[in-house]
Order: sequence, then structure tokens, then C-alpha cells
Amino acid sequence: MQKILIIEDDPAIRDELSLLLKNEGYSPFAPAGFTNIPSQAAQYAPDLILLDINLPGRDGFSLCAELRKIIQAPIIFVTSRDSGLDEVRALSLGGDDYITKPYSVPVLLARIKAVLRRTGKAAAPSDILEYGGLRLNLTKGIVSAETESEAATKTETAILTRNELQILACLMSHAGEIVSRADLIEALWDNQIYIDDNTLSVNVTRLRGKLAQLGFPDFIKTRRGMGYQL
Amino acid sequence: MTILEFLSDRLASLLIQAAFAAITFLFLLATGTQAGVLYLLCVVWFLAFLCAQAIDFFRLSSRLRELNQIMESLDQKYLFYECIPKSRNIYERRLTDLFRRAGKSMIGAVSDAQAAQREYREYVESWVHEIKTPITAAGLICRNAEPDTRRKLSPELAQIEAHVERALFYARAKSPEKDFILRRTELGEIVAQSVDQHKALLIQNGIRVETSGLAQTVYTDGKWAAFILGQLLQNAVRYRSMDSNPVIILSAKPLGKQVQLTVTDNGIGIPAHELPRVFDRGFTGSNGRIRSGSTGMGLYLCRKLADCLELELQISSQPAHFPDFRPAAGSGTRITLTFPAVHSSSD
Repeated sequence: MQKILIIEDDPAIRDELSLLLKNEGYSPFAPAGFTNIPSQAAQYAPDLILLDINLPGRDGFSLCAELRKIIQAPIIFVTSRDSGLDEVRALSLGGDDYITKPYSVPVLLARIKAVLRRTGKAAAPSDILEYGGLRLNLTKGIVSAETESEAATKTETAILTRNELQILACLMSHAGEIVSRADLIEALWDNQIYIDDNTLSVNVTRLRGKLAQLGFPDFIKTRRGMGYQL
Repeated sequence: MTILEFLSDRLASLLIQAAFAAITFLFLLATGTQAGVLYLLCVVWFLAFLCAQAIDFFRLSSRLRELNQIMESLDQKYLFYECIPKSRNIYERRLTDLFRRAGKSMIGAVSDAQAAQREYREYVESWVHEIKTPITAAGLICRNAEPDTRRKLSPELAQIEAHVERALFYARAKSPEKDFILRRTELGEIVAQSVDQHKALLIQNGIRVETSGLAQTVYTDGKWAAFILGQLLQNAVRYRSMDSNPVIILSAKPLGKQVQLTVTDNGIGIPAHELPRVFDRGFTGSNGRIRSGSTGMGLYLCRKLADCLELELQISSQPAHFPDFRPAAGSGTRITLTFPAVHSSSD
């Protein structure tokens, strides 16, 4: 589990962000006192630091420079200061990324993941999802099924469009859970597919058709009034 | 200063001198001075008089020319009185002193006003930064809340964010010092950032966004450009048509060395006679009067910021029939943003 150090002076953000990161499978630590951050950080040995710039008593820029001397962990600035100059300054002081408040949570999580991956603290995510006999290759955009006939096992594949791929990936990564249409649309928008409700229905129908050809006609179940479920 | 102006300025004194000269001559003639002597006296006196006037004229006009040149060369014209050389003429010196005092108080008033504006801007900026912390906290709390609450609350939070952003950019656009950084930016990233910021609003209103040809590099400040685009998205949502499925099409194409981004919606459109005024401050138009939430600030700010970034903004629109909002076939608004040419040498 990756350890994330949160240096943030607002207690509400500290608590909620900790909760959020815990839910995402990280191990967050958010000290409430700012007297001796560098030594606290050295003791905790985090894999990543989220650093606010406006801290009581001192600013994050000098803290970043100080932290850089002691530990190698990547630093992401999370701040409400959004002038271009601040960003340039933060990055030149050894910050690895710069996110402005108020951030959208998916963006924050994606940036954390990207920085961890870039600095070799996290493995690249698997580009293959498997569930119920279906295998989804995210990079190739192909879904394949192994069907066992009398003689040999043969693999059938179907090529998915970008929209279908993201819909299936979202459902497969929440396998077994009910995913509401609204959540599905939001997940697609996070991947820069800006569709509306009707288009989602059309895409799901097409996806079902392709899966049916592979021998999985009822792979995606409709839960009336709630959403879809694998 | 022309000779005529010079003479008309001194008309009274010239007339009095001429009158007294005439009286003197008549008196001398009456008391028996010879006409020849008088004639000679007349010529000599007239020449002396002419010389004196000419010297005066040239001195004054050259002084005026000098002052004019100083004025022309000044950047801040109100500093004029600090720069003029001292005159030998007592009258002019007194006059200059008076004007210098007036100028000083004017300079004081100007710099006070500038300082007040700067302070106000700094306060707005710091306020905006302060308010972002609770908004962020509320966003995180909302994220961890149950889905139903989340879906209702997040558009409201997005609204607050949008209003706060507008206040920040209003303060920025008003100030003489511009703090944007022009650099190479991917147009796709600007669009993604802007759409992401308005995700809640767009999804909630069932908007479909189509993009094409966004793989372009532009030379601009990404945040400012994303803000401008965000205003256009908000407008497209606010003035969407109720009859057809709302669509926003974002497409880009290179135009020589420039890049042109077009934002097209199929909303209710803007009447032709209102088009020239949509970028004016506080102009809401007939659409804005009927629908709530129009401030008349969005497009005004867009124009201001676009001017700073040297972006060209153009708008065309096909209005729906009025006043019942039945859209005519193909009603909608199209706004074109032309990004300046990428400087090939810089990076």
C-alpha cells in the first residue's frame, strides 16, 4: 500500500481527503501540526507528498525546497493559488505536479496515479480486464472469449469502438456491482467521451450485440431504475 | 502660434499705442515742427516698434514649440509640468508654478486611485483563493456523501465555482498588470479542462459534446483560454433549446499559421439586432430577460480576456422564432476563437 503524506492546513479537507485516499487503497497520513514537517516526513517515509502552499507560518515553496533535501518522494502541489508564475515556481523548486483547488476528484486521483507511475512507485496498470470468461484488452480495444468446443479451445474476438470499450471497462472494473447510468456517463466524460443519455443507450445496445456474437448474450444485465450490472 | 493670433492677442495695446502716436504727431505738427522731421521720426519710431514686436513674436513662438516637443515626447502626459525648463519670464514662471501645484495634486489623486484599485484587486484575488479552500472541502465531502446527495449538490458547487472564477478573472482583466503566461499549449487539453470543469452542469442538462480536430498546438495561456471556453459552454447550456437534444460541437482547424476553434450549439440563438452588443458589459438581451441567471458578464469578460491574449472572438447566430422559443430549423449560435500564430522559434 502506498503511503501518501498530506500537508494541508484546512481540517475538513485533511479529513475528507484522507478518507477518500483510504477508500482508493492508499495509506494517507495528515499531520495536524506544522512545526516540524521535514522530520515528520522523514520518519513517515511517504511514497508521495501532497503539499499545500498557503500554510500557517510558512509557505509551501520553502517547505518543498527543504523536503527535497531530505527525501526523494515526489511532491504534488495542491493549492488555491493559480497564477502561472506560482506554477512555474513550484515546478522549478522540485515539485512533480501542480493541481489547483478546487480540483475534481477523478483528476486528482489520476494525477496521483500518474506521478506514482512516473517515479516508479507503482506498477503500470494492467491493460487486461477479465470477468466471467471475457477478456478485455484495453490497449488493443479488443474483447475476446474462449469457447471450449468438443475438439479444441478457440478464441473469438470482437473489436470495440472507443465508447463501447470504456463502457465495458467501467462495468468490468466494478464487476458485480450495480453501476447507474449517471455514474457510467460520468466515467465516460472523465475519459473525454462526452455523450448524452440516448447515445449511452445506443452504445450499450451495440455492445450487447457484439457480446452476444461472442456467446455472451446476457453479459450486461439491466437493473430497472438502477442501472447496469455484470 | 500664427502672426495673426499674436497680433489679435495684443490688439488693445497696439491700438492704444497707435492712438497715442497719432495724437503726439498732431501735437508736434500743431506746435510747428517741420513735416520732413516728423516724417523721419515716424519711420524710425515705426521700425523700432516693429523690431520689438518681431522679437517678442519669435521668442514666444519658439518657447511654445519647445513646450510642444516636450509634451509630444512624454509617455505620461500628466507629468508635463515636472519636465518643463524654467522660464525667464516672471509671468510664465508664476503660471507654471500654479499649474505645477494643480498637476501635483492630480498625480496624487491618480496614484491614490491606482493604489486603491490594486488593493481591491489584491483583496479579490486573495478572497477568491480563501474561498476555494471551503469549496474544495465541500467538494470532497460531497464526493464521500451518498450518490443522490452528490448528484444534487455537485451542480450547485460547480455553480459557486463558476461565479468565483468569474470574479477572479474580472479582477484580473481590470488590472493593468496582466499575469498570464503565453506558452505552447495543446488545444485538446484546454478543451478537456474546460469541459471537465463544467461536467456536472453539462451532464445534468443532458448535453452531448462533440469534438473534432482538437489535436492542435496553440500559443496561449491555458487557464485563461479554458475560462473563456467555459463561459461559452455555460451560455450554451443556459440558452439551450427545449425542443431538440442539445449538442455542443467543438471543432478546430488550422488557418494558415493560426488555429481556429469553433463552438457551435443548437440553442435558441440570438436576434440579429442584439448580436453587436452581446460583448457589452451587463448586456443580457431578450434571451436573458426571459431566462433567469443572466448576468451580462460572461461574454464581456470573454472579450476582455481575449483581447489580452490576442484571441479573436467572432459570433454569429440563427435565432429561434420569438417570443415563444419554437426554434426554427437550424437555430443556434456559433462562436469562433482564432488563436494567434504559434511563434516558431519559442518553446
